[in-house]
Amino acid sequence: MDSVIRAVGLTKRYGDLTAVDNVSFEVERGEIFGLLGPNGAGKTTTVEILEGMRSPNQGTATIDGIDVTKDPRAVKAIIGVQLQSAAFFENLFLLEIVALFGHLYGRKVDARELLETVELIDKGKSRYKQLSGGQKQRLSIATALVNDPVVMFLDEPTTGLDPQARRHMWDLIKRLRANGKTIVMTTHYMEEAEELCDRVAIIDRGAIISLNTPDTLIDNLLDSGFRKERVGRAANLEDVFLSLTGKSLRED
Amino acid sequence: MNPTIALTIASLKMYYRNRQAIFWTLVLPLMFIIIFGLLNFGAFSTINMGLVDEADTPASEILTEVLRGMEASEDSDENGVIKLTLGSRNSELQFLEDGNRDIVVVIPPDFGESSDSTTVHAFYAEDRFQQAEVGESIVRGILDEFTLRRAGVERRFLVESRAVESKGLEYVDFLVPGIVSMAIMQMGIFSVVFSLIQYRQQGVLRRLSATPIRPHNFLIGQVFTRLIVSVVQVAVLLGVGVLIFDVTVAGNFGYLFILAVLGGALFLAIGFVISGFAKNEEVGAPLANIIALPMMFLSGVFFPTDTLPGFLENIVQYLPLTFLADAMREVAIQGAGITEIPWEILGMVVWLAIAFLAATRVFRWE
Repeated sequence: MDSVIRAVGLTKRYGDLTAVDNVSFEVERGEIFGLLGPNGAGKTTTVEILEGMRSPNQGTATIDGIDVTKDPRAVKAIIGVQLQSAAFFENLFLLEIVALFGHLYGRKVDARELLETVELIDKGKSRYKQLSGGQKQRLSIATALVNDPVVMFLDEPTTGLDPQARRHMWDLIKRLRANGKTIVMTTHYMEEAEELCDRVAIIDRGAIISLNTPDTLIDNLLDSGFRKERVGRAANLEDVFLSLTGKSLRED
Repeated sequence: MNPTIALTIASLKMYYRNRQAIFWTLVLPLMFIIIFGLLNFGAFSTINMGLVDEADTPASEILTEVLRGMEASEDSDENGVIKLTLGSRNSELQFLEDGNRDIVVVIPPDFGESSDSTTVHAFYAEDRFQQAEVGESIVRGILDEFTLRRAGVERRFLVESRAVESKGLEYVDFLVPGIVSMAIMQMGIFSVVFSLIQYRQQGVLRRLSATPIRPHNFLIGQVFTRLIVSVVQVAVLLGVGVLIFDVTVAGNFGYLFILAVLGGALFLAIGFVISGFAKNEEVGAPLANIIALPMMFLSGVFFPTDTLPGFLENIVQYLPLTFLADAMREVAIQGAGITEIPWEILGMVVWLAIAFLAATRVFRWE
């Protein structure tokens, strides 16, 4: 097994609160690894430790063999990040933003090609502040790709998006995996994790309480005797919504 | 491209595209120059003198003629030393009370006829004692000359004065270096406070902190951008002053740019301190105004600081903007070199050091 991320015993405390409690896991190269959990469970803090943006009180983590606590800048140089509450310079054009981020990694990037990857090339000459929510998230992915990262961290990439934009983001994330990227993502949406993630870790109160493939987790639950009170039908309301409104993006 | 240079170029582009920033740093100062330049308080150096001739003797006529000779001529735009009005005692004193005269000189009936000494009375407005003092010394000088001539004494000591500039200094000459200094202050304090607070609140700084750049790459980029803007401010504002208002710039432009960079750095550091203290714009905006506004009105941008009451003048002379405005004016008007304004330079360097140290302590990314 080729693990690109190894986290061992990560713990982060804020005063009396233990936000991350002895968390250990490994992420294999080329997989989409999901961190699931309710609000405040510690998903974002865990991700931020791996991104080199926060240092843990205890534990260690390496990304591609580099220790995040000892050399956060070296880790930052090889990863791509999409942060939950982040923004870009609102008076720059998208092409300029992507090129600028390339320079921040010491690279001269083809900004057009990256915007094409995230299907924003039409907006290349627009300013950041003119974008819709989904477009901002996709730009964020483009900036996360400028350094051809070993691992991408996507923190709630579809929160706040309408069903069309969310499916569009799913397609983009699948394409990234097809291109060989390793992805660590957090989400509140279980159908999203089921659709995208090869393995998921479920976090509650700072600790990992379960870690496996979505299928195995579901099988285990069914084996324990669990039955839904009302078995779902072959379609759900989202299918109705999408068949009525279509799958094309509305933001443009 | 080096990250610092890339961030500098990006932030220059953003500055140029930000209408608000352009308004505060260039348009507003330009408006000040144009409005106050057109109002031209140039008359502030002219003395309004009322003359009451109760003698009507050959001697009083000569005195009147001499004073007339010092008046501004109608067809030249040069300011004369005095503006003379003849009138009756009652009406002139009334004008003085109303504020239309700075000084009223009364020539007594026996002027030039008596062999005893004659007293010429001068009444002046208390609140314009400076103009009155000048007016009084002019009259005193002329009367002394009369006395000497009558006594047949030959002068032993002469003062020969020669004007260095043919053109008299006007208000706008005083104003423009002040406005340039004010514009540099506005740029340094406001553009930093607002953009940094915004970047922090929106999460731009967080996103940057997830890249491998070091904080100084970003901060130096911010400083470079604004120092470049302050040099542009000097060029544009002085350019308008010189081309439109015929402002005299006696000094070296290179020195003015050096002062712009030093002043720019100083106010930037103050801006960083404010943005470190202020969590959001609701706190940052008033804080920046409380610091900048009093300086704008007290530090000699629009009028000389020596017109302030003594205790206030003592405080104001140590304010950062006073140092910058005085230095700018010394160079622009008096043609001073950098070594001739050590006090102002020292003042700015000390303020810069204090603000820089404070900024490194209070600045934060999140």
